[in-house]
Amino acid sequence: MNSYTSKGTGNPINRVEGKLKVTGMAKYASEFNVKDLVYAQGINSTIAKGRITAVDTSEAEAQKGVLAVITFKNAEKLAQYEKDLHPLSTTSIQPVLQSNEVHYYGEYVGMVVAETFEQAQYAARLVKYTYDESKPDIDFQASKPKAYKPTEQSDYSRGDVASGLAEADVTLDETYVTPIEHHHPMELHALIGSWNNGNVQAYASQQMIDNAAKTIADTFKIDKKNVRVMSPYVGGGFGSKLAAKQHVILALMASKAVGRPVQFTVTRTQMFTNTNLRQRNEQRIQIGAKKDGTLTALSHDTLSHTSTYEQYQESCGTVSKMLYKTPNNSVTHRLMPMNLQTPFAMRAPGEATGSFALESAMDEMAYKLDMDPVEFRIKNDTQVDPSNDKPFSSRLLNECLRLGAKEFGWENRPKTPGTMSEGNWLVGYGVSGASRRAPFMKTSAKVILELKDNKVYATLQMDATDIGTGSYTILAQTVSEYLDIPVAQVDVELGDSEYPVTPGSGGSWGAASFANGARAACEQAMKDLKVKAGATDATSTAALMQASNLNTLEAEGTAEPDEEYKAHSVFSFGANFTEVWVDKDTGVFRIKRMLNVASCGKILNPKTAFGQIIGGCAMGAGMAIAERTEVEPNYGNFITRSFADYHVPVNLDMANIDVIYLPEEDKIANKMGIKGIGELGITSVAASIANAVFNATGKRMRELPLTPEKMILK
Amino acid sequence: MRPFNYIAAKTRQEALTAIQEREEAKYLGGGTNLVDLMKEDVERPEHLIEVADLDNDRITANAAGGYTLAAAKSNSATANAPEIRKNYPLLSMAMLSAATAQIRNMATNGGNLLQRTRCPYFFETSMPCNKREPGSGCGALEGANAKHAIFGWSKSCVATHPSDMCVALAALEATVSVQAPDGSERTIDFTDFHRLPGSSPEKDNTLEPGELITAIDLPKPQFTEHYHYLKIRERSSYAFALISVAAGLKIRGGIITDAGLAMGGVAHKPWKLTSAEAYLIGKKPSTTHFEEAARLALEDAQTLAYNAYKVPMGSKAIVRALEQAYAKKA
Ligand SMILES: Cc1cc2nc3c(=O)[nH]c(=O)nc-3n(C[C@H](O)[C@H](O)[C@H](O)COP(=O)(O)OP(=O)(O)OC[C@H]3O[C@@H](n4cnc5c(N)ncnc54)[C@H](O)[C@@H]3O)c2cc1C
Ligand code: SF4
Repeated sequence: MNSYTSKGTGNPINRVEGKLKVTGMAKYASEFNVKDLVYAQGINSTIAKGRITAVDTSEAEAQKGVLAVITFKNAEKLAQYEKDLHPLSTTSIQPVLQSNEVHYYGEYVGMVVAETFEQAQYAARLVKYTYDESKPDIDFQASKPKAYKPTEQSDYSRGDVASGLAEADVTLDETYVTPIEHHHPMELHALIGSWNNGNVQAYASQQMIDNAAKTIADTFKIDKKNVRVMSPYVGGGFGSKLAAKQHVILALMASKAVGRPVQFTVTRTQMFTNTNLRQRNEQRIQIGAKKDGTLTALSHDTLSHTSTYEQYQESCGTVSKMLYKTPNNSVTHRLMPMNLQTPFAMRAPGEATGSFALESAMDEMAYKLDMDPVEFRIKNDTQVDPSNDKPFSSRLLNECLRLGAKEFGWENRPKTPGTMSEGNWLVGYGVSGASRRAPFMKTSAKVILELKDNKVYATLQMDATDIGTGSYTILAQTVSEYLDIPVAQVDVELGDSEYPVTPGSGGSWGAASFANGARAACEQAMKDLKVKAGATDATSTAALMQASNLNTLEAEGTAEPDEEYKAHSVFSFGANFTEVWVDKDTGVFRIKRMLNVASCGKILNPKTAFGQIIGGCAMGAGMAIAERTEVEPNYGNFITRSFADYHVPVNLDMANIDVIYLPEEDKIANKMGIKGIGELGITSVAASIANAVFNATGKRMRELPLTPEKMILK
Repeated sequence: MRPFNYIAAKTRQEALTAIQEREEAKYLGGGTNLVDLMKEDVERPEHLIEVADLDNDRITANAAGGYTLAAAKSNSATANAPEIRKNYPLLSMAMLSAATAQIRNMATNGGNLLQRTRCPYFFETSMPCNKREPGSGCGALEGANAKHAIFGWSKSCVATHPSDMCVALAALEATVSVQAPDGSERTIDFTDFHRLPGSSPEKDNTLEPGELITAIDLPKPQFTEHYHYLKIRERSSYAFALISVAAGLKIRGGIITDAGLAMGGVAHKPWKLTSAEAYLIGKKPSTTHFEEAARLALEDAQTLAYNAYKVPMGSKAIVRALEQAYAKKA
C-alpha cells in the first residue's frame, strides 16, 4: 500500500524508509563519511585459557600505514568490575585489554590501528603472542560438578512437585538439549568513534542508544552527557546489539591513542567470538497429570554455562511458571563457569529455548495420555498467571489453538505416528503453544510541527532504533494518527542520543513503548495547540495552527506504565502448526507448511508485523534444522566459524508460512493496545517442528538441531 | 590478507610462462576457494595468475565421441550447457547441487577440481593440520571429525574432498588434461587425479608444480536415461554434502549392462565404488541387488569417533540413488 496517501495506524503501508534502503542511501554505522578516518582491527587469542607471557609487536609496527599496536601492555586503564562473576547486563561496563589473562578462545588480546583497513588487517596477523597455556574448561559434561546458583533469577517454586507427581496417573521425566547459537545479524557490529575535547562521538550499530552511551561513559569514567551515540539504521541485532560490546570500547580507545576517528568493524568470524552467544541449555522437565489431562505437577531445571568471569543466563524456566495451570511447580537455573565467551540475550532469551523443552514435553504427555495435543493444552489453560496470581491483561491462547487447528486442518493429522506417507516421505503434523512477555516501558519523544502551504508537517524525534523491524514506519503512522495528518507529512528521526530517551529495541517492547511515547508527544502538541488557539471552531491541525498564529510548535511527551498495567501479567500468545515431510531413509526433512496464529494486541502495520512473525518462524526453523555453534573438544575454539559452516535455513527449507493475527486491542497493556511481536514468532517453533517429526516418524528428538546425522542414528 | 601481485593471463602460454618465472605463484580461477583461503592466511601466494579468462573457455566435441570441458569455463555455464544436460545429465545434476548460483557463476571447472578440503582445522591457522602445515599433526584425528572420512584415511589426515562435480566425474570415468610450464601435455585418469593422504596430505592430487589444468575430457555420452545424484546435507541448498552418491545405470533388456557409482563426503578423493559397480553388472535392477551393492561398497569403511553415522547414511544413500536412477524416466 502506498505510504503517501495513507493516514493513521493499522494499514499495511510500505516502509517509509524502504527507498533509502534499497538505493543504499540509508547509512549504517560503518558507512559514514568521516574525515581523517583510520581503521582498527582486533586481534584474537588463539588459546582458551592461560596468560600472555610475551608480545612482539615490532614487525606489525614496522608495516606501512600502521599507527599503533595496542595490547594489554599499553592499553588505557578502564573501569573494572567491582566483584567477581559480575552479572552481565545491557549497561555493564566493558573493560578490555586490561590484563594478560585469557578467558576464552578468540578473546581480544590486542588491536592494530592503521591508515587503511587492509593494512590494519595484515599487520594484525604479524603481532606475535607467547602464551602460558592452561587446560581450558570446555567440556560440558566435565564441568557439571562446578555448577552454581546464579545471583539473579533465583529458584522459584509453588506447591510441592514431589507430591504433585505422586498423585499423577501419568508422569514424564525427560531432558531436552539446545546448542550454542549465534545471533548473526546481517550487519556486522561496527563503530566509527572519535574524541573531541573529552567528548565522544560514535556512529554505532546498537539496539539501545542510551545504554550504549552509559556503557561508554562508565567504562571510560566520563559523564554520559559527554557521549553522543548515533544509530540511525541498524541491520538487525537479535539481542547481540543490546549492549555496547568490547569493539566499541576498543575503537574509542584507539581513537584516543592516535587522535583520529577510528572505524572498527567486527569480522564475521569475530561475530562468533566477540559478540556473545546463546548458551547451550540442558533442560530437565518433569510433568505429572491425571488421566483426564489435568496437570498435577511441572518442574523445569536448566543447566547452562557462562564465562569464568561474568554471569548470564537466559531464563528457560520462565515459560513453565506461567503458561499452564498447575498447582505444583518448580523452576531452577544453574550455571557452569567455562572457558567460553559470556552468553547474552538472543531473540526471545529463555522463551525460544525454554519453549522447546516445555512444548516438546507437553506433546510427549499428550501422546502418553492418548489426548489430542491441542486439547491437552486447552485443558490446562489459565486466565490468571499462576506465578504471581495476577490476571493476564488478555490471554487468547485457546483461541489461537482452536483457530489454528481449524485453519490448518489439524483433524487430518495421522493420529498414530508414522502412519501417513507420500512416496518416500513420512508426513507428520505438530503443534505448540507460545507465550512471550509483552512489556511496555517508559518512553519519551519530541514532535515538531511546521505549517507550510496550509499543511502541517511533523518531525518526530526519539532515541529509539529501527533494527530492521519497521520502527520508522509504525512511528510515522502513529504520528499521522494522533496529529491527524497524512503519513507523507511525517518525518521520523531516530537513533540519536540527543533525542528524548527511550528503552531502545529489545525484549519485544519496542513497538508498544515507542508508539505510546510518540502518541504522548502528539497528544501534548494537540493539547498545547488547543490552549493556544483558544475558542475556535477549527478542527484540523492546520486550522488550529492558523488559529493560534503559529508556524512551528514543539512538544514533548512521555508514556509510562500505569497501575492497571502493573496489576496484570502482560504477555503475547500464539500457536504454531507445522507439517513436515521426513525422508523415510536418509534423515532429511522438509517443512511443508507452517501456520502461526498470534494474539499480540493492536497490529500497527500488518505488513511489518508479518515480517516479524515469519522472520521469527524462520529463525525458529533454523533452531530445528541446523543452527548450532560447535566447540572444538580439545582447544575450545568454534569450528563453525563462517556462514559456510553455521547453517541458517534457506528458502527451500521453509516452504509457506502463514500468519493469522487475532483481532485484539489490549488496553491494559498500554493506551494504544499494542503488544510485542518481535520475539513471539520464534517461540516454540522448534518444538512444533520436532513434534511434527515425531508424528511423522515416531522418533522423539530431544536435542536440537535435528540434523540428518541425529535422525539417522535415532 | 597478505599483499600479493596480480597477473591476468590471456593465453595459456602467458599463464605457463608467468608461473615458471615466479616463486610462490598460484593460478586463480574464479577465486571462490583460493581467495577465501588467502583471507584466512591458509594460502599465502605472492603472485596470482588469473586463468579464468583464458582463450579456451569452451565445450567441444572430442575424438572419443564425447565432449571436452575447458578448465576456464564456469560451473554454471558447464552444468547448464545443452550438450552436458543432454549427454551427461548426472554431471549436470551434481554440479547444480553445489554451493549457490552466485558461486557457481564464478567457479571454474579447473578450480572446482582443485578446491581444498572444508576441514575446520585446515581453515584455522592456530590449529594443528598436516595438510596446511606438514608435521604439525592432524587436529581432526582425535578432534571434531563428524564430517571426516570413512575410507582411505591415514593417521596423517582424515579429511574429505568437498566437490560434488568430482563425484560425478569419477562415476563417468573422465580424464583430466594438463600442461606443464615447459609446454608438455599429459592426461590423467580421473580416479588417479586426486590422491589419498598417506603420509603427505599436503598433496591433494597428482599435479606437478606449475601444471595447468586445461580441460576435462568426457567419454561417450553416458547414463543418459538412468542417473541420479543424491546429496544429503544439513539444509536444502548451500551446504556441502555429508554424504553424496552419483549413480548411473545402463539397462538393456531388463539387465544392468553398465554401472557408474561414486561417493562424496567419505574420502580424501571422490570415492569410486568399484566393487559395487562390478557386482551390479549383469544383475536385474532390484532393491535386493542395490542393497547388496551398498553392503559391498561400505564393507571397508573405517569410522572415527564422531562419524559412525556415515555408514548407515551411506548405505541408505547408495540404495536410494540407485532406486531413483532406475526409476528415472529420461
Ligand atoms: C560457501 C561455499 C559453499 C560451497 N559449496 C559447495 C558445494 O556444496 N559443493 C561443491 O562442490 N563445491 C562447493 N563450493 C566450492 C566451489 O565449488 C569451489 O570454490 C569452486 O569450484 C572453485 O573454483 P574457482 O574457479 O573459484 O577456484 P579458485 O578458488 O580460483 O581456485 C581453486 C584452486 O584451483 C587452482 N586452479 C584454478 N584453476 C586452475 C587451473 N586451470 N589449473 C591449475 N590450477 C588451477 C587455484 O590455484 C587454487 O588452488 C562452495 C564454496 C563456497 C565458498
Ligand atoms: S584431517 Fe587433514 S585437513 Fe583436517 S586437520 Fe587433519 S590433516 Fe588437516
